[in-house]
Amino acid sequence: MNRIDSSQLMSSDELEHFESLAKDFTQRSILPMFEEEHSDGNLDLIPEILETAFEIGLAASPDSEKAGADYGIWGSVIDSSGLLSSIVLLSTVAEKCGGIAMLLNAQGVASNILQQSGKKIPGNPNRVALCLQEGHTPPYFKTMNKLNCEESASIEVVATEVVDGYLINGEKHYSYSMDNVDAYVVLAKIEDKWGCFVIPSSQEGLSLIDAGRRTGLRACSLNHLSFDNVKIAKVYRIDDGDAINLVVRAMSLNWIGMSAIAVGIAKGAVEAAKLYTSERYQGGKLIQNHAAIKSLISFSEANAKNAFNSVRSFLDVDLNSFLTLKESAMEKLTTISLSAQATTDSLQTFGGYGYMEDFGMEKRLRDITVLKSAFGSPYYLKQFIADIELEGDQI
Amino acid sequence: MNKPMNKLERTLEEKVDSLYLRNAQKNLNVIGRMLVDGREMSMWDHDTSTLPRGARKLRKKARDFARREIRPRAAEADLDPYSFDHKSLIKAAAKDGLMSLMFVPPFGRANTRAYFKNAAYQIAVVAEELSTEDGGLALMLMAHNLGVVPLLLSGSIGTITRHFLPHYIKSSWLGSSDVMAFAITEPGAGSDVEDPEGGAQAKLVTVAKKVKGGYVINGSKVFISGGGIADKVTVYAKLEGEDLDSWTCFIVEKGMKGFSAGRKEKKMGQRASDASELNFDNVFVPNKNIVGKLRSGWANNANVLNYSRPGVAAMALGQARGAFERSLEYCRTNRLGNKRLIDYREVQMELADMIMSICSARSTVWYSVSSFRCYQSLSSAAKVHASDTAFKVTNQAMELMGDAGYIQSYGVERAMRDSRLTQIYEGTNQMNRLAIMEHQWHQEFNKGAINI
Repeated sequence: MNRIDSSQLMSSDELEHFESLAKDFTQRSILPMFEEEHSDGNLDLIPEILETAFEIGLAASPDSEKAGADYGIWGSVIDSSGLLSSIVLLSTVAEKCGGIAMLLNAQGVASNILQQSGKKIPGNPNRVALCLQEGHTPPYFKTMNKLNCEESASIEVVATEVVDGYLINGEKHYSYSMDNVDAYVVLAKIEDKWGCFVIPSSQEGLSLIDAGRRTGLRACSLNHLSFDNVKIAKVYRIDDGDAINLVVRAMSLNWIGMSAIAVGIAKGAVEAAKLYTSERYQGGKLIQNHAAIKSLISFSEANAKNAFNSVRSFLDVDLNSFLTLKESAMEKLTTISLSAQATTDSLQTFGGYGYMEDFGMEKRLRDITVLKSAFGSPYYLKQFIADIELEGDQI
Repeated sequence: MNKPMNKLERTLEEKVDSLYLRNAQKNLNVIGRMLVDGREMSMWDHDTSTLPRGARKLRKKARDFARREIRPRAAEADLDPYSFDHKSLIKAAAKDGLMSLMFVPPFGRANTRAYFKNAAYQIAVVAEELSTEDGGLALMLMAHNLGVVPLLLSGSIGTITRHFLPHYIKSSWLGSSDVMAFAITEPGAGSDVEDPEGGAQAKLVTVAKKVKGGYVINGSKVFISGGGIADKVTVYAKLEGEDLDSWTCFIVEKGMKGFSAGRKEKKMGQRASDASELNFDNVFVPNKNIVGKLRSGWANNANVLNYSRPGVAAMALGQARGAFERSLEYCRTNRLGNKRLIDYREVQMELADMIMSICSARSTVWYSVSSFRCYQSLSSAAKVHASDTAFKVTNQAMELMGDAGYIQSYGVERAMRDSRLTQIYEGTNQMNRLAIMEHQWHQEFNKGAINI
């Protein structure tokens, strides 16, 4: 049964409008990143690009006064009008740059969690980032549901209630974000439940550790966060006593968003390959006429198309449900795999040029490879999906 | 006398332990026990023990060299390929005899008995070992073989005595850091020059014009591995006014007037190895620098690929193995919850899958170099299979490490980036599939009996 009245879902005209907004943004703001020789684009232009993204309402914000609060990526309307507009925005941006799309996704997920609480946070943070993962993989299902379960991984970032607020201790890992965020949305253990806390980035005891140089998605910041007796007032706790629903929502949105980004990267790769093979001659004929190229292009296109259709099926879901969590994990597992295959096959049509930085194909492959392993690699997702299936009736 | 422990009192661990073959074999009779290979050795030692004696020693030497010389340089060379000191590594490899394995003593350092049994075997064994630590540095060393092998395969006594042997003596005896590169690819012709049908229609621009005392070469080559650091390059050029069947191989030396290295390519992986554009602007090459006969270039090039493709396959295999080893180390030293990663059965199954792939690739590579001369179909099959396997295994290794997999300091993602190139160079894997068919087409596929 659909959760949202179908009349409230975005119409195709409205979706086209979102798509054209994102296309215009990529043309004007993102393409200049790639005008000079930079393997990942000119990263110095990112502050300017993000400023535009906020101005035109592409980037979501927890601040209801900001342009993107409602219709930005993972803005508040997703609960009334469905997820498709955000999926379209993310995949369209990712056609040109997966890293920028990942930034907008990270901002969107954290903003959405804050918006869910409906609480006013002192300082009115605008740029926010989610801190959920500990170690090299997101929480396993058992960890999420039973925080003190001996069999499973434990959550080690702990909040302790004190007289006038909370003390947070521990380390979170692999947090994707924009540079210079105003606050972090931290999901931590409090007694035997999840709690959700907003920690201003300037808070004493909070330190950022650069996660190190990585394969791709280099437009994003990627940090580990250390909390050393970080003290916050009670007003910074935004859940109502148990944040499990926010954990589920954050993970689902992240996975659906990453799937949408992968789809965009693959689509961009296939289009680039089709263009290249329609212009490049070898052996006296256009290479698009060679059997090997036909086969590569066809398979890439089919994989990209299937991935695209699959992620677009997330029209209307209950983001607080475990069923959606399971389906979004399945989505990330399969969609990114299909998209990665489409990307590597598209690269192959360029021959040696595909491996060089000049044509942007190797960047696409690097970006999608990171997406595959980030926040739950295929291997861990398989275990995760099985755990939900096995324990679903205990919820 | 000790009383036998009551079987009911044993713990589950003890019961499980008693069922492992290493313990259970004591219940077999003497002959039965002898038929169990219970030697406690690594898979690497096991595989090494199956090699001929000379290759066995060489494999150990190459592994030691890779760990001693390549491992400490790998991360830096990947990050900053333009300023690291490549000469010192080449010199070290030359001193260890790893740069002169295509010929036997006193000129080269290949083991004589093993060499005359299967000439490319030793190169394949070394290529795997060097590549476990870094694909780029391994390529930098191995590309030299590619530059030199046209001299040997020309079959010309003149070329061999004038160019090959002196070069080998310098490397093998004096530890010289001089290297050679191999140049066939042109801006408008990549895969064409690896396939007869494409070659016949290829738009090649590098042309040699006959002049008094030699030839003048004009044109350019691209993506030349080691081209920017090579002292000599084996360059293939059409003779003026003729088709590709006039292709002739020339030795162009650094310092020759009009010869220059241009743009260095920025690559996704194998970054430590230079890939440069080479430009020829009225370069005069004396007759003595013609490799073999005039117009023998196409055949020479095709046969070079037969010998080099198992080498590329072995490099891919090494990259897969390196990623596997580093990922395994991660699984041994990192925990998920209250257990080490490696203690999870799910992780063990994934690791086993990677081992299967590596064993399969190694079997194909070693099979492809099992005879004295390299055989086109097997060379191409090994190259395709090993490179596809390497890309798959390096991705698996990354995925097993979750988010840590794409962090460069672990060295696993570098192997993934490196392995992707092995699916492209030395003929894309698509061209190599056609090479398999092409070779067998006239032998068997287009005729009656098929005995593959």
